[in-house]
Amino acid sequence: MTGTTETTTDTTAHATTDAATSTTRPATGRAARQRTEALAALRGSRPAWAFGVLAVTWLAAILFADGFDSVSNFRYLVQTASFLGIVAVGQTLVVMMSGIDLSVSGVVALSAVVCAKVASGTGGGATAITAALLLSALVGAVNAAGVVWLRVPPMVMTLATGTVLAGALLVYTDGSPSSAKVPLLDTAANGRLLGVPWSFVLWLVVTAAAWWLLHLSRTGRYAFALGAGESAARASGVPLAATAFTAYVSCALLAGVSGLVLLGFTGTSSLTMGNPYQLLSIASVVLGGTSILGGRGHLLGTVGGALLLTLLTALLTSWNLSEGVRQVILGVLIIGLLLVYARERRT
Amino acid sequence: MREKLTVAARGNTDLLGLLALLLVLLVAYQHYDSSLLTPASITILSAQFLPLILAAAGQTTVMLLGGIDLSLGAVLGLSMAVFAIYEAQGAGGVVTAMVLALCVAVAAGAVNGTLVAYAGLPPIVVTLAASFLWGGVTLVVLPQPGGHVPGGLVTAYNNGWNGVALPAVAIAGVLAVWKLLRTTRHGLALYAVGGNEHGAYASGLHTRGVKIAGYGLAGAFAGLAGIGLAIQTGSADPTIGVPYTLNSIAASVLGGISFFGGVGRMRGTVLGALVIGLLTNLLLFTGISPFYQLIMQGVILVVALALKTYLTREATV
Repeated sequence: MTGTTETTTDTTAHATTDAATSTTRPATGRAARQRTEALAALRGSRPAWAFGVLAVTWLAAILFADGFDSVSNFRYLVQTASFLGIVAVGQTLVVMMSGIDLSVSGVVALSAVVCAKVASGTGGGATAITAALLLSALVGAVNAAGVVWLRVPPMVMTLATGTVLAGALLVYTDGSPSSAKVPLLDTAANGRLLGVPWSFVLWLVVTAAAWWLLHLSRTGRYAFALGAGESAARASGVPLAATAFTAYVSCALLAGVSGLVLLGFTGTSSLTMGNPYQLLSIASVVLGGTSILGGRGHLLGTVGGALLLTLLTALLTSWNLSEGVRQVILGVLIIGLLLVYARERRT
Repeated sequence: MREKLTVAARGNTDLLGLLALLLVLLVAYQHYDSSLLTPASITILSAQFLPLILAAAGQTTVMLLGGIDLSLGAVLGLSMAVFAIYEAQGAGGVVTAMVLALCVAVAAGAVNGTLVAYAGLPPIVVTLAASFLWGGVTLVVLPQPGGHVPGGLVTAYNNGWNGVALPAVAIAGVLAVWKLLRTTRHGLALYAVGGNEHGAYASGLHTRGVKIAGYGLAGAFAGLAGIGLAIQTGSADPTIGVPYTLNSIAASVLGGISFFGGVGRMRGTVLGALVIGLLTNLLLFTGISPFYQLIMQGVILVVALALKTYLTREATV
């Protein structure tokens, strides 16, 4: 509530000053008021905070850390950030309708393992990619079905599908996943378009599509409505099933895409390759200013969050710290950043 | 009469169902392993189930408060590492190590609780970030699997001490303490804050303090689970705690603890943990590849929850 009251008082204050100055210079007064209001809105906007912190960190990295000022380093950062970023964009869609997808780690591994196995076996690259993406989408549909029709809480439902996936992959690969070189994926992960990594271009395309879906399309409005209050939204005729299926299937599909790009990047698949993305994708969404409770936030913030997390990880790695110290610092940094700008209003 | 029956059944549907499931499992278990009810078997099984039961008890404490602890596995690992790294000599040393490990676990839980209570961050986000933090601290304390637990203690714990199943006694003791706590106003406060935070605050409860205490108590449960796991295996592994986060949530949810707080009983959670543990063992007996364990765990979780939702909806309509 505090935010709203602040804005109201701000506006009244500006209105009075505006009234005082309007007699002499009306045009300038209005422009000044608009500028201050825009600034205040920016200060209250959490996605803007994400990019602000990102810019400051990046500047500090360039100034104080070794090797962060080169073009190749920049290129490598955005390339590695896109693996996380693609998953995080999908996660945003689900979180916005106050869901959560803990099965993304399983889906990343699923798509990479299936693609590698099919491609190294009889099927060609195209068949392998299609199979991997279809299976990923199927997992998303199962998640949505459980949430919508079985009324299982999203956290438990996606946790369960993630566990089932981990087991299914063990059975499918007999514990030893294969490696494969698929030319298309190799290009997607390591190739460049006019000097820009293809994976980053892919991330941007995915982000643009998701932006349209979440912020411009009707489904996106439904997702926001469901996130802000499910019963009110459903009472006003928001279709829960259609929205949930769109969000969960898109999320799983994007996790599948990320798995494929990762497969292209490393050339091998492993059963645990998706594990870091489970927590990091949620952290990206939250650091990007989206409320974990749903209904508030912006997709672009997630892009900032994913870049920020990748940059922080790269910085910590460059300081040759032990794995444990790195994790401690990352955890403290995430908590600190959340305290600065992601606190929920006290209800 | 009929109404009374429905009311009684509605209140305990999940517990009765779980109990029936557990009985079926026990009968099946007996079929594969006829020594099930001998003291040796009970000792081994209770040693094997203790970490999950206690971890689930910790998760339940937090869930009753309306929160969730995604860092529980990390705290469990931390306490295990602290306990095993202490190089305990003799009975006094073991007690010191236990107290030390417990203190660390309670402190970790209290930090989580303080962040949840005072920072205005949702529990899921706080504990998610905290899982990085505590997992990292564990790796600093114990970078590689190792540490040391006195051999005599390990033998006594796993094979029984003068015919007494120590792990079973430990579980019973912890549950007795919980039962005692439930009868005091502190236990009631836990349910009150989880059920209706505004109401609890308006009734004069220090809701923030209750939250910190609740998360601290969860830390204590996780710490005990970690100590038990260290004694059972004879050493510590910094990453072994991770699966306990999800399994503890699964056991609590199976046991009928609500995600929204204030609803559920600890006995349900214990039954849930036993069902998960017994099922895992049964799968090994039936000779199915252990790879199928994970699939089964996930399916059971969904089926149990969906069934419960379906049944309770029938009851209310």
